[in-house]
Amino acid sequence: MRTRATALRAGGLLILAVIGWLLPYQLDSYSIHVVDVMIVFALLAIGLGLAMGIAGQINLAQVAFFGVAAYATAILTTKAGYGFWTSAILALAAAAAFGLVVGLPALRIQSHYLGIVTLGLALAFTNWATNATITGGAEGISGIAGPILPGIDLSSEYLYYYLELIVFAIALAFGLFVVHTPLGRRMRAMRDDALAAGAIGAEVPALRMTAFLLASVYGGLAGVLYAGLIRYVAPETFSIANMFFLLAMVIIGGRQSLVGCVVGAAGLTLVRELLADYPTYAQIAYGTVVVLTVVFAPTGLAGIPARLRSTASRLGWTRQPAAAGTAALGPFEPYTAAQPVDSDTRRTEPILAIDNIDMSFRGLQALRGVQLTVAPGEIRGIVGPNGSGKTTLFNVISGLYKPTGGTVHVSGRNLTGASSHRLARVGIARTFQNLRLFGQLTVRDNILVALDDTRTYQAWRYLLWPFGIWRHDRNLRTAADEILTRYGLAAFGDALPGALPYGIQRRAEIARAMARRPRLLLLDEPAAGLNGEETRQLSEIVRSIRATGVTVIVIEHNMSLVMSLCERITVLAGGTVIAEGTPAEVAQAPQVIEAYLGDSDLSHDVPAPVPTEIAS
Amino acid sequence: MSRTSLSRTLWSRFAVTAAAALLAVAGCSAPGADKDSTGKNSSGPIKIAIIDAQSGQLSSLGAWELKGAKLAVEEWNKAGGISGRQIQLDVFDDQGDPTVGTNLARKIASEGYIAMIGTAESAVTIAMAPILQQNQIPNIASGQSPGMVALKSPFLFLNGPTSTTYDETLAKYIVETKGVKNIAMITNNGSYGKGEHDAFTKALAARSITPVADQVVTTDQKDFSAALTTIRQKNPQIIFLGAEEVESGLIVKQARDLGITATFAGAAPQGTPVFRDTAGVTAVEGTLVSTPYMSNDLNDKTKAFAAAYKAAYNEDAELHGAKAYDGAQILLNALKSSNVATGKALADAIRATKRDGLLGSFAYDGTGVGIFATTIGTITGGKLVPAS
Repeated sequence: MRTRATALRAGGLLILAVIGWLLPYQLDSYSIHVVDVMIVFALLAIGLGLAMGIAGQINLAQVAFFGVAAYATAILTTKAGYGFWTSAILALAAAAAFGLVVGLPALRIQSHYLGIVTLGLALAFTNWATNATITGGAEGISGIAGPILPGIDLSSEYLYYYLELIVFAIALAFGLFVVHTPLGRRMRAMRDDALAAGAIGAEVPALRMTAFLLASVYGGLAGVLYAGLIRYVAPETFSIANMFFLLAMVIIGGRQSLVGCVVGAAGLTLVRELLADYPTYAQIAYGTVVVLTVVFAPTGLAGIPARLRSTASRLGWTRQPAAAGTAALGPFEPYTAAQPVDSDTRRTEPILAIDNIDMSFRGLQALRGVQLTVAPGEIRGIVGPNGSGKTTLFNVISGLYKPTGGTVHVSGRNLTGASSHRLARVGIARTFQNLRLFGQLTVRDNILVALDDTRTYQAWRYLLWPFGIWRHDRNLRTAADEILTRYGLAAFGDALPGALPYGIQRRAEIARAMARRPRLLLLDEPAAGLNGEETRQLSEIVRSIRATGVTVIVIEHNMSLVMSLCERITVLAGGTVIAEGTPAEVAQAPQVIEAYLGDSDLSHDVPAPVPTEIAS
Repeated sequence: MSRTSLSRTLWSRFAVTAAAALLAVAGCSAPGADKDSTGKNSSGPIKIAIIDAQSGQLSSLGAWELKGAKLAVEEWNKAGGISGRQIQLDVFDDQGDPTVGTNLARKIASEGYIAMIGTAESAVTIAMAPILQQNQIPNIASGQSPGMVALKSPFLFLNGPTSTTYDETLAKYIVETKGVKNIAMITNNGSYGKGEHDAFTKALAARSITPVADQVVTTDQKDFSAALTTIRQKNPQIIFLGAEEVESGLIVKQARDLGITATFAGAAPQGTPVFRDTAGVTAVEGTLVSTPYMSNDLNDKTKAFAAAYKAAYNEDAELHGAKAYDGAQILLNALKSSNVATGKALADAIRATKRDGLLGSFAYDGTGVGIFATTIGTITGGKLVPAS
């Protein structure tokens, strides 16, 4: 089955390659020009797709990246007298530098604000190009030197097509490779949930810059090819109207699929050619199609096959595959004690020492002088009424919040206020009270993101040693399969988390956190929404995790679980620690009883009677 | 297993065949090499392209151009064409966008057009010129930017004077005839405005005059109060306008609203009805215009042209239509004298063509400019009349 699919795919690629190679023989000299322009736009669309669709960074400056490279090529060949190839390399560097500048605001702002800022920078570029002397103003720059290859006349648009085709094929393959390997997976995770991505070690700021860098390099490639093809640049080409055209390509094609972006670019370039005699109506037509796509097919053309399949299976036209709903959660396979994840459990130093932590949000003091010391290998419970600061404390420990006072030491290192990805690399992993799985990533990909420990700066290996990346990815996949099997999730590896029952999602989140191979695992209400059997399995899982040497801190409202599972319990109320001790001690402390009974009117939060056999 | 190996064999066989075919085809010839140049044959209609903005901000220019050129072609076709062949004039819309222009230049080259009329936007013409030169397609353009002359393309001709001529005449009149030295300028940063700015500044500098204010606005600006307030503070006698029809009209209108009473002066756009109607007849009263085409009533030729124009389109002829008409006539005469030559021969025939046209006497020099004179008119009662 698998071999056949691979063979089919290889065959399809081969046919595409042959069609691509023979295409010029079927076209007249104007049509080949249209195809040449189409390829330029396809490259631009891939870049935009990488930034917007894959990394979730709204980038309305793609057309400016395009412009920077085209103008740089033009200026360097006509004014500085460099050859095309030298200029091309310098132009790519210029586009990349500009991309990093445009990306800077993304470190602080996201979503539509980022859209506005990048749009502003794009406008600034067009304005500069229209007014500066070096760009020739509105008249632009003509007489750009074209590329020269010995023996091949690249001034022929037919032969230029082959140059573009080769660049395009390499660029598309590289883009797809990035998307399906660790770097792209981290970007997709960041797109779905930047907080959770940071908490599993993705360096969100560096990833955002990488996204803009990739977008600008693709834009730069397109700009260089454009300058070599048209041999003329003028500000209109890089106008906001063309940015919208580009955006339309990506949205109609399907922004989360690079192939979709290419299809969108090809399709829209052809439509524009057909509508060339009716430019006014053409603009209205693009606008309408974009609106219709966003409303009725948000995943674009690329998403249509999947939608058709799901419709077909809903109507019972196709045989139901082992659907997510029908397969059962497999049993958890306990870790064998012989494979401790962490070796320094025998150290006596506390794994976590929190001293006098304050956390206030403007007027609200959420934590006040909190002290907490957790010994290695312990299972610590944190309980307290709603709003007592439990999750805030977790957010401080995992680096989502910077405390306003106090210190956090992890295994003796002062990591107060460190970023969440840094803490993740130190060995802290967590789950979230309201599940934060990456919604557009399969369960397997969720695990793969967490497993990967490469740093973003190591992305240079993509250029110089892609085979190493490929091998690394293959190893990760083997490890991911092991984890899926261990947590009984093997049947759901290819499902999207949103389609799965709640209990399975909870399990998947623990599996993802454990894929980090942490020293300290923070579980935020892991039993919420679980039934009795699932809760029993949960406590089995937590004990097995601890058996490998991982320290576990659990926030939980299910008191029987907390009492049975935890060796020590810390009670928070109103942002301060009001009690700490063994389950039996805590359950009898008068201030605890008062906090619970005083704050909530005899609710279910009342501690349950302690099962004696566990408390001993 | 057997199935897999079977399909694998099939695929590999297919791959080998495909690769062989590829090599065979690629080895024979480069694509596009054996194209015949359709349309450049010597039978059937003579294909001429007119490329201009038919949509967008510059579409009124494009419409006038088309009407003027079409009028000339229809005259010739009615008289039996050239060497027994009819002339086919096809219109393409460049949207005022230079890049669209480069696409269209390639398009007309591939579709076998032997000559091109247009465009009215110098930036578009400049963008197209290298491609037209490469494909040896003579082009009679309507822009007036000196940038076009600077390209030195032997295939590019202008159907009117350049900004240098317009502004030299204007500066001479203002400074030497009228003795005005207190001059302000407002120009836009488009290719037309920039050309005007540079040409007029140069003409003033030759007379040792520096403008008291030199304001540059953008091509899509609608509110000019900031620039105009600056100009008002300098209290100039004359304000030079370097912007297209509608924008110039808006500038004059807003200047009058701000209480600026100075006389405006400009070139071709300021002589058009669009300019007059945008600003209002009273606002433009007294505006000085440097133009090669003072009015439809200038002489018998312009009267005949205006009558034919009115009959064909039921509207009054103006400068741009007249320029396009002259340009088309020159091209058609050259086609006739060269017996429908193409390429370099046709360009040479155009260069050799002398015409006593609507704008005056054309005689092309090596730079592709055929006419070097404009006259100064003033707008009086909404009509352009020769200045005293």
